[in-house]
Amino acid sequence: MDKNGIVLMQRYELGRLLGKGTFAKVYHARSLKTGENVAIKVIDKQKVAKVGLIDQIKREISVMRLVRHPNVVFLHEVMASKTKIYFVMEYVKGGELFDKVSKGKLKEDIARKYFQQLIGAIDYCHSRGVYHRDLKPENLLLDENGDLKISDFGLSALRESRKQDGLLHTTCGTPAYVAPEVICKKGYDGDKADVWSCGVVLYVLLAGFLPFHQKNLVEMYRKIKNGEFRCPNWFPPEVKKLLSRILDPNPNSRIKIEKIMENSWFQKGFKKIETPKSPDSNQIESLISDVQAAFALQPMCYNAFDLISSLSQGFDLSGLFEKEERSESMFTTKKEAREIVSKFEEIATSSERFDLKKSNVGVKMEDRREGRKGQLAIDVEIFEVTKSFHMVEFKKSKGDTMEYKEFCDGELKPSLKDIVWKWQGNNNSNNEKLV
Amino acid sequence: MLAFVKCFSLKRTKHPPGYEDPQVLASETPFTVNEIEALHNLFKKLSTSIIDDGLIHKEEFLLALFRNSSMQNLFADRVFYMFDRKRNGVIEFGEFVRSLSIFHPHTPEHEKSSFMFKLYDLHGTGFIERHELKKMVGALLGETDLELSEESIDAIVEQTMVEVDTNKDGKIDEEEWKELVAKNPSILKNMTLPYLKEVTLAFPSFVLDSEVDD
Repeated sequence: MDKNGIVLMQRYELGRLLGKGTFAKVYHARSLKTGENVAIKVIDKQKVAKVGLIDQIKREISVMRLVRHPNVVFLHEVMASKTKIYFVMEYVKGGELFDKVSKGKLKEDIARKYFQQLIGAIDYCHSRGVYHRDLKPENLLLDENGDLKISDFGLSALRESRKQDGLLHTTCGTPAYVAPEVICKKGYDGDKADVWSCGVVLYVLLAGFLPFHQKNLVEMYRKIKNGEFRCPNWFPPEVKKLLSRILDPNPNSRIKIEKIMENSWFQKGFKKIETPKSPDSNQIESLISDVQAAFALQPMCYNAFDLISSLSQGFDLSGLFEKEERSESMFTTKKEAREIVSKFEEIATSSERFDLKKSNVGVKMEDRREGRKGQLAIDVEIFEVTKSFHMVEFKKSKGDTMEYKEFCDGELKPSLKDIVWKWQGNNNSNNEKLV
Repeated sequence: MLAFVKCFSLKRTKHPPGYEDPQVLASETPFTVNEIEALHNLFKKLSTSIIDDGLIHKEEFLLALFRNSSMQNLFADRVFYMFDRKRNGVIEFGEFVRSLSIFHPHTPEHEKSSFMFKLYDLHGTGFIERHELKKMVGALLGETDLELSEESIDAIVEQTMVEVDTNKDGKIDEEEWKELVAKNPSILKNMTLPYLKEVTLAFPSFVLDSEVDD
């Protein structure tokens, strides 16, 4: 049925059908407000309810909220009517990665680039407890810049194969990409199963055909369970070795994702994801901070109203919402501003990891290492209430939230112990932990 | 026949007093119908936590904010009072949505500013008076376990009055308040809840019982 021109919930104009399956249809659509292109997955509630998947869908929506990565298709919002559920997702233009492969195997460098993006995104999602569990060709898309986008992350309840063309696309029930422990229906770990699937993807990119493919399903199962596959002679030796470690039928001895990322073939030309920022603005920023540092630190003054809106938990309604822990922290201190700054200096130096830049309102800590989403950077602002009563607030300005949390809880907060008067905010557990 | 079915379905979904149609609420607030349905899930959770009557009582509100229903907190009391527009001691669903809408990221700043002024105007005189300000600073320091000397508290209050009370009549009127907010918008930061923009993702249960027509 043609839905062209239909306006959904007074907000999105539906365009052409992009794909369809048992439970869902995916349409191209455009936001009436912003003009932004999106893909909308329309799910038939009744069909989903019949097979008892509603609860799982709800759980997965909550999980999807945690994932923001340039190589993962972003879920903008969820809407619903009496009979339908709508997932409004980022629209990815370039089609499926495997349409490319079906025209022939990829060059080593290109294959490596996609594999690096795949592994980077999977590692990011795993660090947030999100597993794909069913990585396969139809979920690997390309955007207009030729970068990989993984779709349907965390929506495993709704997965189904869209195409059934045999060779690269999985036919229904053909577990060409599925780890042996999943086939065996033993309990399995999502992370290990995802690693296996990434191995199959890498093989297909370089070979142009599947590692485990047999007309006879029983024979195919047997080969998967035994990890029986052969690499074509054009595979570089490092790849052959890496694949034998990934396509290890024993999930416990299978290579871990961190180890894949340390592999020398993988490492070649590997760029960690950086938050987009032009070098110019960086230079200007450091220039400004140099100029500012030439002047003495002058903390901003805090009046009674600033104090109330920063500190009062009774006036912080975010407490009503089930929320992730905030990536900002605050403490009050009786130390003077220059003592506070020198404490942060001391922490940055002794960590042997951070560079410290001073500004006139506080300091900025910058990680020398590349993290999951580029360098970690922490802004520290100091506010004066009275001469001997300051408020210090720090928050992540760049980098990965989990890495930030690890550093804060593991190193930063414990090291600040001797200048902190009281930790502030809802996070009362911090106080207990640090006292 | 259709009328009969309608009548029947109305009976089936019996709502507690104060419930309002999401369509109506959506037309008066920045929320979509779906977002109001999602907020209803949050409301149901909050309003049944102690007394299962579909109304948020003070104790339930405190329980949600502090995980402690007998917490004494001036600011939470004031927020509750502001939400309870009918002044009948409970927050009904309509009041909940309309009040939360002021905290929506898209709500104009002057509405947020005016809400906050009224909240700080403890006695509803149209002014934030020096003694009210001192009471609030005291309450804040008590809440956060910060022990400051009487002189330090006075110094904070004094410094604030000097900064804000520009006509020097010893109290802050709404004009002076607006100037302060214009100069220092971060004072309003509590008045914006980014969560309200992703409330459908946070409370996805609404997808089950959405009443929106296809």
